[in-house]
Amino acid sequence: MVAIDPTLLNVLLIAISGTLICAAVHFIPVGGAPAAMAQATGIGTGTVELAAGSGLVGLITASYMYANEPTAPVYLVMAAGAMGSMVMLASTMLAGGLIYAYGVAVPFASAQVKKDPITGQRQDNFISKGTQGQGIPTICFVSGIIGAALGGIGGALIYYVLVGIYSPLITTSAAAVAGVFTMGVFYVNAVIPSYGVGGTIEGFHDPKFRRVIGKDVLTSFVVSLICGVVAVMIAGGMVA
Amino acid sequence: MSDVKEISSNKLLAFGIIGGLLGIYLTYILPALGTQIGGQAESFLTVISPTFGALGAMCSVVWGAEAVRRVSKYGLGTGVPSIGQIAMGMGIVAAMFGLAIVKTMLIAGPIVALVTASVIGLIIGWFAQNVIKMKIPVMIRCMTEIAAAGALVIIGFSASVAGNFDFLGSIIPLVFDNGVMLAVFWVGAVALLHPFNACLGPDEKQKRLLYLAVSTGAITMVIMGIAALVTLGASGAITLVLGIILWVISYKKFWDEVYKDSSAVVGTGLIPKTEA
Repeated sequence: MVAIDPTLLNVLLIAISGTLICAAVHFIPVGGAPAAMAQATGIGTGTVELAAGSGLVGLITASYMYANEPTAPVYLVMAAGAMGSMVMLASTMLAGGLIYAYGVAVPFASAQVKKDPITGQRQDNFISKGTQGQGIPTICFVSGIIGAALGGIGGALIYYVLVGIYSPLITTSAAAVAGVFTMGVFYVNAVIPSYGVGGTIEGFHDPKFRRVIGKDVLTSFVVSLICGVVAVMIAGGMVA
Repeated sequence: MSDVKEISSNKLLAFGIIGGLLGIYLTYILPALGTQIGGQAESFLTVISPTFGALGAMCSVVWGAEAVRRVSKYGLGTGVPSIGQIAMGMGIVAAMFGLAIVKTMLIAGPIVALVTASVIGLIIGWFAQNVIKMKIPVMIRCMTEIAAAGALVIIGFSASVAGNFDFLGSIIPLVFDNGVMLAVFWVGAVALLHPFNACLGPDEKQKRLLYLAVSTGAITMVIMGIAALVTLGASGAITLVLGIILWVISYKKFWDEVYKDSSAVVGTGLIPKTEA
């Protein structure tokens, strides 16, 4: 194996994490305003809010793991991040689902597939006229959990890399600086795919998924690469 | 667009950049000036200087909010908040880079941050336009402006809490370590995105939006004042009081504009009782 320069490796890891976050957004069933009125499938809020909400919880769980176990290997920190994000998004979807089922009283149905690929149940019979499906069907729920895991892994990886770069230079402040920088990269990468999907997406079974993920991931990779270079250069500025 | 005269985007751009940079640099120049004069003037200038950072940031808030307005008018499909958040995301990355990379040449920090933010914004705008194909003609220009405004907003408000914009010496211990940065990030993002998010619609007018932008900037200033009370003491009180005064004035102006604009909508007369 060819040895990679550690600085280059850090930049690449940040770029990959940013791309993971971008890809993650495509998995989350985002319904936007139509879903808030139960006229489209998904959770009734914007892409950025959902991705950031779950991603930041992942960031907290990952940093908590890292703070309490500084010798933790990278996969453990990533797992902690993924777990935090998944719990957060699952509880959001569960609470949303309860409201859709018992508050708004709509049957959960996806407008993009005829049969739910997981449960095999018919969907098109249950869609109200003039809507794009309602609620959060099983396939969307599963897709959302996968997305949250990817987002959590991405956030945790950036944090892990940055703490590794900054802690020899600014010791105790490294966690704060790395956390804030991760948040910045997270927001940029959560908004880019939301422009790509144009506000709503059901999950990986949505035809839109295959149509937009390529160009979004490319954009995100380039932007995250710049962020990675910037992050490494910030460390250069910290050396007095 | 309409027969109402609007302030041109170039004027607001100049206002945002010059006002923002001036405010930010005054936090650095005034204490240095005070040291040369000495005596009472020194302590006075040191106490008032951080407030200028917040005032400068407010200029950038007005500029950024107008840029958000111009691009969001086309309909992003994702809601206005997303653009405020990407502004802060780009802004914070650029601000940290600009302030850290200059090392001992502190004076160059904000300019480097501004340029970096513009470059990042330009790249994201280019990709949004040409790769994601959003088909918004002002996308590239507005993304650049929004990123630059975001960076200045972050540096300005951070400087008002930390006293100056020395990244290692002041901003990390006084803004990052205690978590004030999160308030700068969030409240700053709301200051940029809220004006258009609240005003959008067929009857949206620039003047009303600008007053609301000043008022959201003033709210951010109040919160920074509270934070600065803890970190800097007396300077925080000035920022806090000035922020409250500016908020009251700008919100009253916004309120008046709302009344003025709504009168045109209300005065349509009653619905006729019978069909003609």
